[in-house]
Amino acid sequence: MTNQTLNDRKVGHQDVKIAAKGVDVFYGSSHAIKHVDVSILDKTVTAFIGPSGCGKSTFLRCLNRMNDTISICKVTGDILLDGKDIYDREVDPVQLRAKVGMVFQKPNPFPKSIYDNVAYGPRIHGLVATKPDLDDVVEQSLKRAAIWNEVKDRLQDPGTSLSGGQQQRLCIARAIATAPEVLLMDEPCSALDPIATAQVEELIDDLRSNYSVVIVTHSMQQAARVSQKTAFFHLGIIVEYDDTTKIFTNPTDQRTQDYITGRFG
Amino acid sequence: MGPHIVTSFDDDLLAIQAKISEMGGLCEELLSHALDAVETRDAELAADVIERDKRLDKLEIEVADLTTQVIARRQPMAQDLRFLISALKMSATLERVGDLAKNIAKRGVYLANARPVKVSSSIVRMGQQTLAQLTEVLDAHTARDTALAVSVWRKDVELDETYNALFREVLTYMMEDPRTIGLGSQLLFIAKNLERIGDHTTHIAELIYYVVEGTALGDDRPKGEPISLDGVGS
Repeated sequence: MTNQTLNDRKVGHQDVKIAAKGVDVFYGSSHAIKHVDVSILDKTVTAFIGPSGCGKSTFLRCLNRMNDTISICKVTGDILLDGKDIYDREVDPVQLRAKVGMVFQKPNPFPKSIYDNVAYGPRIHGLVATKPDLDDVVEQSLKRAAIWNEVKDRLQDPGTSLSGGQQQRLCIARAIATAPEVLLMDEPCSALDPIATAQVEELIDDLRSNYSVVIVTHSMQQAARVSQKTAFFHLGIIVEYDDTTKIFTNPTDQRTQDYITGRFG
Repeated sequence: MGPHIVTSFDDDLLAIQAKISEMGGLCEELLSHALDAVETRDAELAADVIERDKRLDKLEIEVADLTTQVIARRQPMAQDLRFLISALKMSATLERVGDLAKNIAKRGVYLANARPVKVSSSIVRMGQQTLAQLTEVLDAHTARDTALAVSVWRKDVELDETYNALFREVLTYMMEDPRTIGLGSQLLFIAKNLERIGDHTTHIAELIYYVVEGTALGDDRPKGEPISLDGVGS
């Protein structure tokens, strides 16, 4: 753990990693996201908060085209990753998802061994040439996900044999094994106990030095702890987007204030 | 601001607010009685002030206790967090005001045994001015009225000026008649205590502003000149 003070953790002048401009999302006739503009910074943790059904997960899933799999879902507007439109016809969604990884609310390991769960991505994307290299990627990924010590002697056991918290960290290891540039996390700790949560938060902080991390969370305290930028979603729009310290000590919008202090909106 | 979804959270905040209000009311009363004791040379009233300051100390501890519990249990955010942090500071500040009032009362006991001098009326006026400032800032706190808080904050300069004038006046008396030095010193300490209460009052105004607005009031408050001894006694 680095000895950074709160001031050091303030947002610097990071480059924009993902720029969303005028994004609308429709599920059939339902208008889920209404003209959202937001810039996700590189080497920064951005938290999306908001009540259930506000569109934060929907928007998150636009960032690596997970919504493509839902036939009635239509996304309009521009989402640029390093300046390039990710919805361009030439972009292969599978390649995109190697660059923009995702961790879900419920741990969903493949019905394979612990080793193969992590090795799967590097294999299909051809990221490693030899078995020792692959072993190394698996070990490093499991170490970074803070689960190596618990599984190093049972790498051939099925991933599903692990506890919930371990499975979630395995999924994080799987997500970072392809060396993504952006990591999307949809409520990654909601099924974890406080110790496993702390380990994941430590991991998120660690990932920030290399990646852009976007986390959707219902825990305001978690958003305040791990992120440098926070966006508050409500009814399909971003009500407020600012430095995390500002959002949690002195938000500008009354709706943000009511939500984070637990008042009736 | 609407109520919290968890109503017991509101109850907690109200309980803390009630204790702060009690501290504020007690401070006003102690200062008022201490000043009366000085003016009327009432040693008994002074002793009563000294005794009742203990209640303030107890309340300060209760506020710290409650606030710590609420922070631990509710993880407050935004205005709630600012309110709780300020409640801690406010109770500490009011406790200090109580100590200063107590100190004035102690000096009142001494004065009760001394012969009357004309300067006492100046100190009474300064006392009334200080008390009025304290009352106003506590009203601003109850009403969360930042405009009133800022007006109190700006007026502290007048108290500083009164203090400087009184200082020169007392010094002049002491130079003219060395027999008044003991008495004059007591009066100077009382004046200094009042001036300190004025500073605490401006601090409370700053806390009110921070709770409501979320930003610091700033540092461009008008301040009195430091005391110059030039020309005293000449």
